[in-house]
Amino acid sequence: MTDPLSDEGLGSRLASELPRHAAPARLRHAVIEAGRPRADVRPWLSAALASAATALVLFLVFLPMLPRIAPADPVQRLVRSVVSEHTRTLMWGARRPDVIPAALPWLTQESGIELNRVFAGDERLTFVAAEPVYLEQRRGIALHYRDEDGHLLTYVVLPAPGLPMPERQRVQVDRWRPALLRDSGFSVWVWKQGDLACFIVSDMISETDLGSFREYFIRVRVATEPVIR
Amino acid sequence: MDEGDFRRDALVHLDALYNFAVYLTRKPPEAEDLVQETYARAFRFSHRFQPGTHLRAWLFQILRNTFLTFYRLREREAAVAEDGVPDWDTPMFHDAPDEDSGAMDAHTDLERAMRHLPAEFRTVLLLAEVEGLPLEEVARVMACPVGTVKSRIFRAKERLRILLRDYETR
Repeated sequence: MTDPLSDEGLGSRLASELPRHAAPARLRHAVIEAGRPRADVRPWLSAALASAATALVLFLVFLPMLPRIAPADPVQRLVRSVVSEHTRTLMWGARRPDVIPAALPWLTQESGIELNRVFAGDERLTFVAAEPVYLEQRRGIALHYRDEDGHLLTYVVLPAPGLPMPERQRVQVDRWRPALLRDSGFSVWVWKQGDLACFIVSDMISETDLGSFREYFIRVRVATEPVIR
Repeated sequence: MDEGDFRRDALVHLDALYNFAVYLTRKPPEAEDLVQETYARAFRFSHRFQPGTHLRAWLFQILRNTFLTFYRLREREAAVAEDGVPDWDTPMFHDAPDEDSGAMDAHTDLERAMRHLPAEFRTVLLLAEVEGLPLEEVARVMACPVGTVKSRIFRAKERLRILLRDYETR
């Protein structure tokens, strides 16, 4: 008699004693259905899909060549550029994290804008970086701050003589009346100081955040004084 | 081979594939999904099947590859020894705990012992001893040399023997 634990014995036990599981009827039915050729496949469908795919590829190829749709309103256009700059900083970080006022002469030289006074941060806002920017064919300055909750704030000042202020969006904040605009999920304070347009951008959009955003505007507005050199 | 003939021939092996899938997944619903996916792939790639070769082995191969593709991510992979089989306490595909919901119960010592084998050992035993595939076909399914299959069968039986003796003495 074969030892049930010998190689041969184990082999025959596996073949005879191990329970076999038969496929359920529903599985058999599902497999048969899956293998049945589909009668409703329309012969023209693949050609139509191929044409559509070709058209889509051609559209995507020529898309960058189409003229860009920019807002007609000059303020909106500037706001969009400022928001883009803020987004770039969020994604890639600022290029030149110099400490103000050491960077001021260099910034003035690069941007043509002088900052008589500048907000260098306080217990709520930490200064992160300062850098020259070139937006909408204007040279300007961007200052970046971060608050205690991690929100990045970007202050941008650009020369904009004759830029009209959007009256309907203007709100009273302390003794000033900046406009509060929204673009791409960001809040933007916009105001004029002489021939300069100033902006503060952040992702603070909730009611609570807007209260803080209002305070930040006051802090920056009081302590920053840009002039065209 | 005609498409209809291929489907008919493939369906002959449904029970064997399902049985294999149940032992691999240990959960009948998952085994059903695995078998359905195996047939879907086999039908889709039927033109790649070479008539004259072993259709049964080809289907087992698809099933095992599908299992590895879909289930490998779920399982914790342990360190693998030189011959591709992990050490005693580190199954290649970590078995789900016995109280795992939906897992099939083991009714015999042999079933219980099989369950405790690493998947690569369980697979060779199922293919060679239960399904009776020649070693060359098992090697094809497992994508390894025949020598490796022989070595795995030897080691798998060794472990099986230890487990069964252990159950007997309890």
